[in-house]
Amino acid sequence: MFCVIVNLNGNSNIPFDPANTDYAEFKKAVTAGAELQDASGNVMTAQAAKAFIGTLP
Amino acid sequence: MSTVRTNNILDASGGNTATINSMTPTADSLQGQRNRIINGAMMIDQRNAGAAITVNSTGTFFPVDRFFGSGQATDGVFTLQQSSTAPSGFVNSVIATVTTADASIGATQFYLFNQYIEGTNVADLAWGTASAKTVTLSFWVRSSLTGTFGGVISNSAQNRSYPFTYTISAANTYEYKTVTIAGDTSGTWLTTTGIGIRLHFDLGVGSTYRGTAGSWAGATYLGATGATNVIGTLNATWYITGVQLEVGSVATPFERIDYGRELQLCLRYYQNSFNVGNQPGVSTSLSDAIHLLSWGDGNCSGFPFQIPMRAAPTVTLRAQGSTTAGQVSSGGTDRSATATNIGAKQVSFIAVTSGTANTYTRFTWEAASEL
Repeated sequence: MFCVIVNLNGNSNIPFDPANTDYAEFKKAVTAGAELQDASGNVMTAQAAKAFIGTLP
Repeated sequence: MSTVRTNNILDASGGNTATINSMTPTADSLQGQRNRIINGAMMIDQRNAGAAITVNSTGTFFPVDRFFGSGQATDGVFTLQQSSTAPSGFVNSVIATVTTADASIGATQFYLFNQYIEGTNVADLAWGTASAKTVTLSFWVRSSLTGTFGGVISNSAQNRSYPFTYTISAANTYEYKTVTIAGDTSGTWLTTTGIGIRLHFDLGVGSTYRGTAGSWAGATYLGATGATNVIGTLNATWYITGVQLEVGSVATPFERIDYGRELQLCLRYYQNSFNVGNQPGVSTSLSDAIHLLSWGDGNCSGFPFQIPMRAAPTVTLRAQGSTTAGQVSSGGTDRSATATNIGAKQVSFIAVTSGTANTYTRFTWEAASEL
């Protein structure tokens, strides 16, 4: 499985590492309801986003 | 020449404050690697090649390695830049210049110059325990303004804070400042790879986040009550260098580290593929990039970092010769790409959208794992 987060503001790649400050900001934002896109660029449904967030370290 | 033989040297009162050439030798002041601040002489700047950066949000803006500014998205704006205006014995400093003044800072607004110290580098201070050690902060500072200025040392959770003040007596003149702080016996102080100590210099902080200088408080403070708001004066300048935080109640001379070792310390938090003097995101020099061979599926191999990083870093890729992030050059065409399965020691591979098989993949990279 390919694991990376693409920050669309700057096109940087964020690892799934809780010690990474960008990841911590990402998790905080998506937990608060920020929009998520899948690998194809499609906006995730609320249900899919919730399931994804549940898998985050 | 004569020889003095003795087993012990005490001061006139029989105590341990005897000085030699104005310095009191102690177990703390004689040890190596005294300074817990990295790049305290503002020597290493991997990001900007000496160019000024504008601090216009609450994000993190690094004018030199390890030190960053933070501000507001509205109201005041200041720039930060590595400078060659430095006191005797130093080559560099950082200058803050106010480009948009905020003469009426909101209660929760703040304008700061900071360094966060990794917990592993201050674990021996034993803060949060009865054995907490005293530390001394020292630095050279200069400003177009005079008066009382402030700063804060706080913990990761920002629920233990020690505001401090210092005085600048003469405008546009470097002055040496020392602040001795009794170690905090309360609170939680991380000794991990997280934030051990936050050091803030207050360039302007609202009333909510300012506290009385000289004592520990169970509160979030970013500045000291009564301190001068540098941000309040258009074109005001504030320089700093020679920042040192060390164990003990004595400020020893600045611990000089050669360029190579200082750079090594910085690489744990930020590194890139660019030549020294070339600015990431600006330079298009071909020699900034690395070339790796792509696989049959068009993706390409990853790469190891120059030294292991504090944590898995955020990685930014750009095609060779390009300033556009999120791409690599694959078979001579710039294509979308992502650094995939990033660890603290390497990027596992580069996923390239419609990458060309079995050819060169060329790109520059930046990796950041700041605190």
